[in-house]
This record gives sequence, structure tokens and C-alpha cells, in this order.
Amino acid sequence: MSLKAFKRALWVYHLNTGSCNGCDIEILAVLTPRYDVERFGIMLVGSPRHADVLLVTGPVVKQMESRVKRIYEQIPDPKLVVVVGNCGIEGGVFYESYSLAGPVDQIIPVDVYVPGCPPRPEAIIEAVVKAWVKLEKAEQGVS
Amino acid sequence: MTLIIESGYEFWNPIIWLITFAVVMVIVYFFRKRGKEKYKKGEEQAQIFLCGEEVPGSEQRQVRGSNAYWGFFETLKEYYDGIVRLHTGIVNDYVVWFVTVVAISAIILFVVELVG
Repeated sequence: MSLKAFKRALWVYHLNTGSCNGCDIEILAVLTPRYDVERFGIMLVGSPRHADVLLVTGPVVKQMESRVKRIYEQIPDPKLVVVVGNCGIEGGVFYESYSLAGPVDQIIPVDVYVPGCPPRPEAIIEAVVKAWVKLEKAEQGVS
Repeated sequence: MTLIIESGYEFWNPIIWLITFAVVMVIVYFFRKRGKEKYKKGEEQAQIFLCGEEVPGSEQRQVRGSNAYWGFFETLKEYYDGIVRLHTGIVNDYVVWFVTVVAISAIILFVVELVG
């Protein structure tokens, strides 16, 4: 893979929309010295205003619905959404729960899905790389 | 004509100040130019990020002067509660207080006069 248009580091904003924290721990593992994605230029940031990718874990509970939409809107274009874990993809163990607003793709558009409960760090890294390639194409379209 | 003002410890020169100001403005312009121009103006992308919460109106997110005295009022809350309760805003209450205080003062003065 060679990057042409998107030559800067990929900044990721992580949002928990009601996850049990299993996926969040795996995302943390991605940042530890064992996997260390920062060496590839992939970095977690504290504000969606700085992010290129929105990494969502967990199903979207009703309380989080408006927050997810707002945070998605606040990310500058071009942007991508990666959903980590079964819960965000189709509800997982919380399927059809009274407190759910729905899986993530019913609230905001999703580009990459990472199934698993929780998914392994390698899968998360692969998803982010796929997002990066997609972002590369989006960047070329914008510029 | 010299433009330099000296106090013995430091000096001030308007030309140096203008040059410094111009250099700072060039640096600011450089960073501003690096920002993204294509953002959605007037929408969420231009709003303050507040952990996904809706941003309250400007009058609700300002730090008021009274906020600086929060600890003071919190500590003396019982005293202020009592005082505020006395201030009913009804003239009759204030007249009663005035008459009472004048009467007590008169009695004290009378007693002091008698003793003296």
C-alpha cells in the first residue's frame, strides 16, 4: 500500500456509545508497546475536531443518539467511521434492548465494520488501515 | 529626534514594537493559513466541542463575577439565608424593623443615661 494523497498521520477519535468496555480494552491494547500503532502514525486524539476517523464501540443507547450524531458532524471532512465489536454492528448481547436507539449504522454512516466480542487488536489495526485507504481515496476526491 | 523612551531599567521603542507586532502577525497568519478552509460554516463543525453535549447559549457558559465569590457565599450560606429572608421587599416590614431598632436604641441610651 502506498499513500499518495493522505500523507499525514491518521488521527482517531474513540467514542463509547454504551459498550461493556471489552472493545475499549482491546483498543487500549492496540496502543500498548506490543502493537504500538503510533509507530504507523495512528494516534488517538481527545477531540473530534482533530480527528480523521471516528472509532465507535458499543451499541448506541438512547442517551447517546444525539451525542453520536453531533460528534460525527463535528469531525472535519473527509471522515470515516469504524465500528468495533458486534454490539455496534447489530446490537450483540443487547440486541432489541429497550434502551437501544439501534446499531451504529442506523444513526450515522459506517465505513468499516470490525466483528468480534471483542475483536482482536490485529483486526482493529486492519480496520483502521482499511479506513486509511478509503480516506486516501476520499482525500483525492476532495482535493 | 529619538523615539526611545528609557527609564534607567528598560526602554521602549515604537519601531521595535511595530516590527515585533508584524512578525507575530505573520506567524499567526501562517498557522491560520494551514487550517482547513472547506468546513461547514454555521453548522456543528463550527461549534464548540463539549463531549457531544449541546452547547448552551453564551449567557449560560460565561463565568460571572459572582462565581468568584462562590466559596464565600457557600461558607456563610446560613447567615445569608437568614439575611435574605428578612429582606422581604415590603415597606411595612422595613418600618417595623426601623421602629424596633430605634426603640431598642432609645431604651439602651436611657438606661446608660440612668446608670451614668
